[in-house]
Amino acid sequence: MEIVIVLIIVAIVGYLIYQSLPNTKFEKAQNLFNAKDYVQAITVLNEIFEKHVDAPAKLAECKLNLGKQASAKPEKVNYFNEVVEIRKRISKSESITKFESIEAKALFEIALIQYEETKGDIDKLNQNIKFIDTVNKKGSESDFSSLKKKHFYDLADSHFKKATDKEKSDKLSEAIQIYNTGKDYAEKSDNKTVKNNSVTRIAICQLKRNDKINLDDVSEIGYSDKSYQKELYYRYAIQLLKNKEYTAAEKVISSNLNFKSADIDKLSEILKAEKNNNAVTKIEEINTLIEQLQKKSLSTEELKAFYDSLDKTINEVKFIDIQVSEKISALKPTLFNRLLTQYISAEQFGNAISIIQKYPKFWESPELLKNLGICCYGYTSKGLLTERNYQTVISGWLTSVFSDRVILKSLDDTTWDDNYTFTLVEAIGSNYSQHEETPDNVNYDEISESNISIGATQKELLQQFETIIHKEIQDANLSKLVNDFYDKEKEALENVISVIEKDVFFATPHFAKQNGFNNEIIEELDNDYHNYSNEEALEAGVPYIKNSNSTVVYQYFYANDLIDKVKAAINNENSIAIKNLNTKENKQWIEKFDSISELVEDKLFNSISNKISEDDENEKLIPVMEECILFSSQNAKLKYQYSNYVANYCISKVNENEMDNFKALSLMKGAYLRSPNNPKIVKNFITLIRFNLMDILNDRTRKMNEIYTILDWVKKNNMSQTYKQNSNELSTARREIIQQLKKAGADISLFDESSFSSLLSGHSLNSQGLKMKKVLTYLKELGNE
Amino acid sequence: MTNPYTILGVSQDADKAEIMKAQMLAMKKKEFALQEIAIAAKQLLDPAKRLAADFMYPAKIKVKRIQPIQSTLTHQEIYVNALNDNAFNSLK
Repeated sequence: MEIVIVLIIVAIVGYLIYQSLPNTKFEKAQNLFNAKDYVQAITVLNEIFEKHVDAPAKLAECKLNLGKQASAKPEKVNYFNEVVEIRKRISKSESITKFESIEAKALFEIALIQYEETKGDIDKLNQNIKFIDTVNKKGSESDFSSLKKKHFYDLADSHFKKATDKEKSDKLSEAIQIYNTGKDYAEKSDNKTVKNNSVTRIAICQLKRNDKINLDDVSEIGYSDKSYQKELYYRYAIQLLKNKEYTAAEKVISSNLNFKSADIDKLSEILKAEKNNNAVTKIEEINTLIEQLQKKSLSTEELKAFYDSLDKTINEVKFIDIQVSEKISALKPTLFNRLLTQYISAEQFGNAISIIQKYPKFWESPELLKNLGICCYGYTSKGLLTERNYQTVISGWLTSVFSDRVILKSLDDTTWDDNYTFTLVEAIGSNYSQHEETPDNVNYDEISESNISIGATQKELLQQFETIIHKEIQDANLSKLVNDFYDKEKEALENVISVIEKDVFFATPHFAKQNGFNNEIIEELDNDYHNYSNEEALEAGVPYIKNSNSTVVYQYFYANDLIDKVKAAINNENSIAIKNLNTKENKQWIEKFDSISELVEDKLFNSISNKISEDDENEKLIPVMEECILFSSQNAKLKYQYSNYVANYCISKVNENEMDNFKALSLMKGAYLRSPNNPKIVKNFITLIRFNLMDILNDRTRKMNEIYTILDWVKKNNMSQTYKQNSNELSTARREIIQQLKKAGADISLFDESSFSSLLSGHSLNSQGLKMKKVLTYLKELGNE
Repeated sequence: MTNPYTILGVSQDADKAEIMKAQMLAMKKKEFALQEIAIAAKQLLDPAKRLAADFMYPAKIKVKRIQPIQSTLTHQEIYVNALNDNAFNSLK
């Protein structure tokens, strides 16, 4: 009994000791915390505050939650402050570490309550920012950061409002400063409204202060308040008008103030008045220059500047007074003529050519075209041709001289010719029978002593020019360029003239392309082709092509270009390129034109011949030639060329031991395939068959299967008449082998495929014997037995 | 190539007799080589070649005589300062 009592006492004491242990108490506090009984939990945690390392943090958490639960702000703040106060009681560093994250949450709650009380007050907002910046934020950094951004957002709003008040009181510099501060806060807090509006209001303040501003590239303005934008652009337009920047002002008004308003109308009226005054000034200036011109006191350079300025003036004045602008326009031809005359008489042919070419549709004026010809001649005779200008000058000269109208114009200015008449019968510049209008002394009669050939005059002019470019260009490269170009341009022009029968303006290809009427010439040539199926017309049009288009001339050029591409591929030994060009569509283009399709084979044949003449043992040419045969629909000559080339190549290489018999047989198969009745090819092919069978027999080849594949191909319906006539070489070879076997005492019947004796004898062949038997069988089948 | 009219010193409307006379004169003056003078005379006596020489004289373009521009436009006063700067005041 006593023992039982002692045990009970020990148990009670033990239980009491257990209950008083810190861990047990913390566990109890945790349970109370979980049950949201924070007050009881606080009591327990206070008992073990120093004894359990987690107790201070849990105590702080209880108070934090009580603060959050509290409804009145002072009570909340009180709890949160109590949390902060707990730090003072903590002595263990481990406990501090755990406590700090709860403390940061309490401090965040305090900062949040303080923020709610700022209500946009700049000082209070700044104070709370200072508070946020200094307190412990451990574990709550992003909450604090978001809260701080809200402060910046509010500060942006508050500064903007404060700045507008300053602006209203005309304290513009202060306003600008505060707008700028607000803009900085807006940028930090992503407050786009304040940012955009601040930029616009700063510009308005600057304009109010009469600062010179530039609104280029200020994108924020477009996103700001519409009423701010109106005010800004209106004030800006006024500033530009005051500074006489009328063009910029007009641009601002038309782009940004395009709404109805009496005030905007006033701006437009000022602009109109300014344009009027500008026109008045310009007219005065023009009249002064005209006076100088009449007194001949204007230099060529001043005249050129006057002439060049007219277009701009015409454009400016036409909005004010269309009649005056037309009067100014009417000055242009006269000034142009004066300037051109001065340039020509001063032998400034380059300047003369330049202004003629800028004159709209100058080629429609025989006078201008004649003067262009004279300038081109003068320019060339002065040795001024360069690689940059020779095309323009030569095409200008040729176009001028080839124009009948230009030559007829020359007759207008002569008086010595009263006793003569002139005939266009051999003129080189036209193919049509009659000009609509000709001078009285011009006819189409025969040439005689008194009826002078205009064609002879044109030829004389061309000859004079040719003498210059042949003999007087010192630089050999330039001389070649010039003369080649001259010949090409002249030939192209002559070709076009010989085809077109209509009265159209003829020009060289370069001239037509440079002045944008090459397509008109091409259209005429297209018409000629449609009417007469005349492919010469298409050929003549090719030099006039500038860009791809749907004309027949272009199709003709395209088809020809395909042939040129194949020729280039032959030259580059590129069989793949030819294969790629060999499409159904491309062939259709070529077949469309007889003059092209008829010559395809000859052109390719000649290109290949040229390559062969460079190297007659070039194996790379073989696939190129094979592709050419496929490309050309007419290909008998190409096949003949190919087969002979392959045969010669194989014979040479085999004889020099540079090629084995199998490779030669493979290549010759191609030759035989394309020329099965060419005796030379067939004979060589048969010889190679024999060589290859002998190689099999004598174990000189590893290509036995490949050889038999080729021979099987020959056996299978590929023995031409010529082959059959020449295949006794194989029969002879077979007979000789059998003779040798007989001499050696072999049972010949064993090698005869059809002999019954080989079956009846009961003897069998070893592998060498079987090989012999197969060779003899092929010799028999491929020979003419 | 010098213009044959320049070599012989004759005008564009010179007749055959004038050309031949000018040729003799030019030979006496010796400003140009005898061959050049001969070629120039030959050129001007051959109508087709003479027409080629005439080609080198610029064509006269018919244009109107240049006259000062008559206009009723007069200078207008511009009153920028009379504009109402505050017409679109957006802070009212």
